[in-house]
Amino acid sequence: MMKCLLRKSVFFGSTLVALVFLCSGVTFSQGLDKEVSMEENIPTSEGLTVKYIATDLNGADRALGQADPYKLELQIQDLAFPNGGGSVQEVEVRGFHNGETIFFGIKWNDASKNDRAIAHAQFKDAVGLMFPLETVKEISPEKPFSPRMGDRGKPVNIWHWKADWEKELNVDGGKEHMEDEYPNMFTDFDFNPDPIHFHKETYESVPLMAGGISAGSLLSQANRGRSVEDLNAVGFGTLTSQEHQDVNGKGSWSNGKWDVVIYRPLETSDENDVKFVPGMSTFFNMAVWNGIEGDRNGQKSVSIRWRPLKIETVK
Amino acid sequence: MTLVHNWHLGRTMEYPYFESRPEHQFAAVFNINRCIACQTCTMAHKSTWTYSKGQEYMWWNNVETKPYGGYPQHWDHKILQLLWDNGNNPMEWYTSAKDKDETKAPYGLYNGDTIFELARTKGLNQVAVGYIPDDKEWRFPNIYEDTAASEKTNYETGPAAESSELPEHKRWFFYLQRICNHCTYPACLAACPRKAIYKRKEDGIVLIDQKRCRGYRKCVEQCPYKKSMYRGETRMSEKCIACYPRVEGKDPVTKGRRMEARCMAACVGKIRLNGLLTGDYRKPDPKNPMDWLIHIHKVALPLYPQFGTEPNIYYIPPRWAPRSYLRQMFGPGVDEALDKYASPSRTLLAVLQLFRTTQTMLSRFEIEDGEKIFESEVMGKKVEVYNDTVIGFASDGTEMVRVKVEEPTWESDEKRMITY
Ligand code: SF4
Ligand code: SF4
Repeated sequence: MMKCLLRKSVFFGSTLVALVFLCSGVTFSQGLDKEVSMEENIPTSEGLTVKYIATDLNGADRALGQADPYKLELQIQDLAFPNGGGSVQEVEVRGFHNGETIFFGIKWNDASKNDRAIAHAQFKDAVGLMFPLETVKEISPEKPFSPRMGDRGKPVNIWHWKADWEKELNVDGGKEHMEDEYPNMFTDFDFNPDPIHFHKETYESVPLMAGGISAGSLLSQANRGRSVEDLNAVGFGTLTSQEHQDVNGKGSWSNGKWDVVIYRPLETSDENDVKFVPGMSTFFNMAVWNGIEGDRNGQKSVSIRWRPLKIETVK
Repeated sequence: MTLVHNWHLGRTMEYPYFESRPEHQFAAVFNINRCIACQTCTMAHKSTWTYSKGQEYMWWNNVETKPYGGYPQHWDHKILQLLWDNGNNPMEWYTSAKDKDETKAPYGLYNGDTIFELARTKGLNQVAVGYIPDDKEWRFPNIYEDTAASEKTNYETGPAAESSELPEHKRWFFYLQRICNHCTYPACLAACPRKAIYKRKEDGIVLIDQKRCRGYRKCVEQCPYKKSMYRGETRMSEKCIACYPRVEGKDPVTKGRRMEARCMAACVGKIRLNGLLTGDYRKPDPKNPMDWLIHIHKVALPLYPQFGTEPNIYYIPPRWAPRSYLRQMFGPGVDEALDKYASPSRTLLAVLQLFRTTQTMLSRFEIEDGEKIFESEVMGKKVEVYNDTVIGFASDGTEMVRVKVEEPTWESDEKRMITY
């Protein structure tokens, strides 16, 4: 055992020396991520064409029905640690724009509807669309662009639809609370008809003590007014919610299938948003989270290779 | 992964980040022998930090009865079982003189895998082995309160058929006081894929940034002590914050001086002393009560050092519990610590008087000699008690407390007794 331990130290000692060389100037090193493969930077040849159809949100479902479906095969996310996902094999996406707004219709199979994340081991279903923030004409091994949520100097814009946010759009008060998951619970400050008989300062301190709510996190807030979060990232672990939220969506689940529409004005005034101009081409990537499997963060089913995205000109 | 030194284990170990110790480390010594399980600490915590919605089940401080109790239920059994890995990781220690080093390996050398190393060896999808306790496991914060373990059941022995004698009671239990350990190598921090958890350079306090947390519950899963908790109401995780505004001296009561955390200051049994350890464990300050108890006298020990997080709440183990159980819980330093506690030195007796005498964190102590007041023998060892005076100072040098080993007593006037 002792010898084995010593051997271990020698081995890791040399690894450390190697790491110090590799990461000089970097203060940490996780060293658990998979090497970048060539394939990651070779987009598929087939892609999605976002048709021009002159209709608005009310006609979106019918318009999406007219648009050509594009299927993306999904796989387990095993590029970054922690790995996961893989339970959703395929996602189908269609797109159209009306010269002002771009719509994506997304469908995938999911036998269980998970639209709450309140209990400890309760996770929600979700879907994400990812675009390079700046328009990218070419992605290739010579001109790489990381599909791992972008890279330093190469930010991405991510649109993340969440099943629990969708549900909360339609509940009283714009948010689900503990008592929705635990109907028999009791809390002093919320359920007492006369909370003022509590120590006044304590009662008034409740909002301040609300962690995520007082920190202003969208996740904790009520009445978000949307089910899609507008985010940026420059690599795994850097996902950041935008100050200015511009993306909307709607979704429903029936017969083991999620049907989600995500839409946004083609152009916004926010420099952190990807800009879509009719006639242009760029790339996109997708991920699906399956709540029942405990999917969250890097535990997701992903498309990995970039897909070409073409926006038709206005006719 | 990089290599870092963990002095609890007496060796380097794997950790995802480089070794970066804080200038000072928030720490506490809990003297298990004195705890009466009044739960005042628990309520002090509750009424300060977790009285709002979604925190009903949260007890950042809890006191559980060992061996059966635990919050969340079975937390230590479960994590030990995971770490045991069907016997492949027997968690052995080498404790011969050559395996020890005064500062770098005071308890000897741990030759098993830590939670970080086992996750790596087994190729798990985790930085540290762990699990998310489910709702049921959080239900009973004080389950099995005062339930004793015994070799025989009451039925077999009949009530009080056998008396208990030291060094080990046949029928035993003890109280384990638990808060977040503000570990030197926090597993919660290592587990977070977003780096939303950070360890403060100035005092080693470990915090979850509520702006960056996205409720992934990786910290809940991988903290082996189960002290990171998910708050369903805000959809993100929260944990003990070591009452950092008090530690920073923001409470007006201590006039800008560092102040003990709430659970520490409230302790009725006077079992707790809270302060800052010197950041460099190789250069402990013999006049700092924390450094002295932990590094120099080694009477206070870490909880489950084999996990590998270098936890910073230190315990004086209970005298009466089986040694094998205590060694599993506090490592191989148990026998030395208990010898020292059972027949305490003059300094130890004096320093123990400092517990719960002031809310101000003490960073220095001095002892003035007093006369001998008592002599006895404990388990074959001579014990002498001197009525020394111990003086505690805040970090700015102000004298905060002056107490004698012998507690002063007063007799009431006889007339007063009669009036009753
Ligand atoms: S006890 Fe748990 S929550 Fe606290 S610092 Fe250590 S690993 Fe993190
Ligand atoms: S307040 Fe002190 S004596 Fe009471 S339960 Fe807590 S640690 Fe034990």
